[in-house]
Amino acid sequence: MLEMRDMSKIFRTEQVETHALRSFDLHVREGEFVTVTGPSGSGKTTFLNIAGLLDTFSTGAYVLDGQDVSDLDDYARSKLRNRKIGFIFQGFNLLPDLNLFDNLDVPLCYRRLKRAERHQRINDALARVGLASRMKHYPSQLSGGQQQRAAIARALAGHPRLLLADEPTGNLDSQMALEVMDLLQDINRAGSTIVMVTHDPNLASRAQRNVHIVDGRVAEDPADGTIRPRPVEGTA
Amino acid sequence: MFAYYVKVALHNTQRNKVLAALMVLAIAVGIGASMTTLTVMHLLSGDPLPGRSQHIYYPQIDVNPQSKGREPLDMLDYRTAMDLWSSDKADQQALVANSMVKVRTPYSTRPALMLPMVSTTSDFFSMFDVPFRYGQAWSKSDDASRTRVAVISSRLNDKLFGGRNSVGKTLRLADSDVRIIGVLDAWRPSPLFYKVRGGRFTDGDTSAFYKKTDDVFMPFAASLEVNAGNFQAFTCWSAPDPNEDLRNAPCVWVALWARLNSAAKVNAYRSYLQNYADQQKAAGRIKYADDIRLRSLMQWLDFNRVVPSNVKLQTALAFSFLLICLTNVVGLLLAKFLRHSGEIGLRRALGATRTAVFFQCLIESAIIGLLGGLGGLLLTLFGLYLVRLQPVAYADLAHMDVSMFLVTFALALATSLLAGALPALRASLTPTALQLKLL
Amino acid sequence: MQIRFVLAALRKHRLATFLIALQISLACAVLCNACFLIVQQVHAMRIDSGVDEARLGTVKLSGFDPKSANDFNARVVDALRHVDGVQSVSVISGVPFGEPGVRAGIGLDPDYKQFGGVIDFYLGDDHAAHDFGLHLISGRMPSPDDYMPVTKFVPSNAPVLITRTLAEHLWPGQNPLGKQFWGLDTQFRVIGVLDHLSVSQPGGSEAKDPDWSVFVPAIAGPNLAGKYLIRAQPNDMPRVMREAREAALKAAPDAVLDTDQSHSLSRLRHSYFESARVMVKLLAGVVVALLGTTALGIVGLASFWVTQRRKQIGTRRALGATRGDILRYFQIENFIIVSFGILLGMLLAYGLSLELMRSYEVPRLPFGYMPIGAAALWILGQLAVLVPALRASAITPVEAIRTL
Repeated sequence: MLEMRDMSKIFRTEQVETHALRSFDLHVREGEFVTVTGPSGSGKTTFLNIAGLLDTFSTGAYVLDGQDVSDLDDYARSKLRNRKIGFIFQGFNLLPDLNLFDNLDVPLCYRRLKRAERHQRINDALARVGLASRMKHYPSQLSGGQQQRAAIARALAGHPRLLLADEPTGNLDSQMALEVMDLLQDINRAGSTIVMVTHDPNLASRAQRNVHIVDGRVAEDPADGTIRPRPVEGTA
Repeated sequence: MFAYYVKVALHNTQRNKVLAALMVLAIAVGIGASMTTLTVMHLLSGDPLPGRSQHIYYPQIDVNPQSKGREPLDMLDYRTAMDLWSSDKADQQALVANSMVKVRTPYSTRPALMLPMVSTTSDFFSMFDVPFRYGQAWSKSDDASRTRVAVISSRLNDKLFGGRNSVGKTLRLADSDVRIIGVLDAWRPSPLFYKVRGGRFTDGDTSAFYKKTDDVFMPFAASLEVNAGNFQAFTCWSAPDPNEDLRNAPCVWVALWARLNSAAKVNAYRSYLQNYADQQKAAGRIKYADDIRLRSLMQWLDFNRVVPSNVKLQTALAFSFLLICLTNVVGLLLAKFLRHSGEIGLRRALGATRTAVFFQCLIESAIIGLLGGLGGLLLTLFGLYLVRLQPVAYADLAHMDVSMFLVTFALALATSLLAGALPALRASLTPTALQLKLL
Repeated sequence: MQIRFVLAALRKHRLATFLIALQISLACAVLCNACFLIVQQVHAMRIDSGVDEARLGTVKLSGFDPKSANDFNARVVDALRHVDGVQSVSVISGVPFGEPGVRAGIGLDPDYKQFGGVIDFYLGDDHAAHDFGLHLISGRMPSPDDYMPVTKFVPSNAPVLITRTLAEHLWPGQNPLGKQFWGLDTQFRVIGVLDHLSVSQPGGSEAKDPDWSVFVPAIAGPNLAGKYLIRAQPNDMPRVMREAREAALKAAPDAVLDTDQSHSLSRLRHSYFESARVMVKLLAGVVVALLGTTALGIVGLASFWVTQRRKQIGTRRALGATRGDILRYFQIENFIIVSFGILLGMLLAYGLSLELMRSYEVPRLPFGYMPIGAAALWILGQLAVLVPALRASAITPVEAIRTL
């Protein structure tokens, strides 16, 4: 489903080059629930940006759902993002000017889907996260947990091949966080591939597979047996 | 506290210099344009005889024997004018007729000039409070005895006599010698009210009403002899013989101005006019005796719509423009305040009252408005300078006076507060929780 | 597709939307009316006077004794004819763009029961009709017998050349040749129809149409003296006029030369329309300033919205919006706001026009100006929003993840 080979990402400023990722290798198979952990500045976010086609990388290769996406232009990457990837953000990122229904409708409209199908998908997705009755509500009228469930519904409505979650519980209290986590696991059991970036070891432990990143490299990955020495302050 | 507000406001204004400059510019240009035109309006629509105009009246009688009974003609025929004048019913009164007169001096060989002359009677000068630099006006007995004397404008005195006292010198008007008995001081009524007439036929182009004062003033009867044949009728109800004296022509060409010092006098004069018209109707000389008017000076100016329609149009345009600038600034300020709404929310959360937020925003807009007003003032001065370059009769009048200076500042302040109030209110009313959420 | 979202978002920003729409509506109202006034003024300035302006000049003398007018005319005409480059000189009563000459109300019957309007009479001697370069479209030019002395303001029972416009006004659909009208205590008979001959003060007199004038053949004398028409080559005109003024004064040292009126007709025309030109420049300035201010307002507000919505835009991009989608979002938003403004502006424009009609003697705004004003604002809006919209479209999707 997601395959990164020998990937590097270098940020250049006038004075320095920063290697956010170096010889980064990762292979996520269809139906997996992978959590990515690592200390701040380890390259988690960069990984997520590249995995989600939000950002480009410097060298290496990236194959998403069997398609080499290394050399795609902005337009093609936008379209691919729209069709294959669903995002769940730490800050929910619901559009404050639109009600829930319209929030879910936005990515579907970018895909130029027919009206009836959009309605069907939106209703299904909202029902699945238990917000069907809140369709006409605006984000500001919802609690944090409800907002994140709405954001998950938005990602689901697109029937993505890959769900990318960036600290989805970071802005939630522990009760809500557990709810959201349960929801994600349900979704995964229903067949969706999920990659979740987090710094919470408890959450990470609930996934089938936890990939630990340090200094822009995969430091620990049970799938291929990679074990590199961990820094002491790392999560244990 | 106020000083703190100002400090924060200044800081916020500097945060986005381009935007602040844009808003200041919009207000400055809007105010500059409006105040330039408003100043011109103010100068052109003002009272030419402040403190006196309410006692000055312009009697009219429908002297046209073929009248259809609508508005009486703008002037009087010779006979009616003389009848009314001789009756001496007003506190003061003056006949006015206008002509172009050929002017020469025996003292130089400079070519003759054709200059506008006012033929009037002695009360003209005291009634209209005309200032003299040298000499004085002629007397009532000069009117009667047709003395050949003249009062000249200071401009003509400068031109012919280098500004020296010319009283006693001789002017050659047409082909007669006339003795100068007075030189006017600077006198520039705006409009030149004693020549205002026919405004409703000008199609709005009334700038001729703002010409400079006439150069030569002569006793009415004497001037008719001196400048015979050069008087033009305002209009005629049948074609006159151009070779015949206007005094007997079927034409109107004489204006009568009367000073009536009290309401009682005005009423008495009105009934006198009515009596006179009734008599004339009985004698078969006029057709509509009830068609009389006794307008005050300002009413007469209004009736003639003296302010040129171009000027009114420009003022309307300028104020529409100001309105547009204003909405522009309101929009930008609103965007600015709302952009900082997170910060405002924080301030509110930290205990700032709604009023405090409101005043904070208001002071921020007041600073913009004050700067804009200052710019507007400079632009107004520049705008008036541009007006003075225009080839219009009133160009030389276009100067800022104290009242307009104050109005400019009031306008700038009002504009900025108006522009600031709405966004400030909006910013202060946004619920704190929502503002924090937006952060 | 996006219109629904744009509308939904605008509903949440009613005040700002309303303000910018209000500004556009005001701009629309002023723009339509200002453009109309400009076109009107330009149209008035383009008037065809019906005479050979480029080849004509006029000299006006006053202050002479009317009793010696015949001798005076003879002396001045002779002096002017001897000016180098002068092709012809005639005695006239006035010229287009000069000071008002003979003007009177006329009737279609001796009792003026049927009033024909106030018209201008141009009197000229036997050279004048030719010198003016009048263009006859039917009938005939005056023959030598048609020239008669001026008794009152005009000769009695004079034959006249009438303009097509005036003839059509007086006798709609009829052949004006041979028709009569009354005025100035006498009657006139139409012998020819002119293409054009404008009144002396087009747009400023009581005449309802600038072409309401007639040419009356006359003989110079006490009642037709002091105003002279000079014909010369166009490129010679400035020098000829300079020398003609001097020659006239030399021939009549006692008379006063009217320095305002004694110029080439091109120059008289130029100064006649001076205030109209100033007005046009002013209106054009207002239009430019207006469009500039409105554009700045749009740019300012759009820029703010772009900055304010960086995260939203990033989110949209992350959800799969292409750069084009984002660009179009802002373009659609601008189009909707401007359209709303225009809608309001049309009403305002119409109201303003009614007010202008009432107060400033201008005709009603033709409906044709509204779509033009609307189109101008739509284009302006799209141009103004382009830069902020492009900036918005350049926001990277990474912005969605970035925390503030």
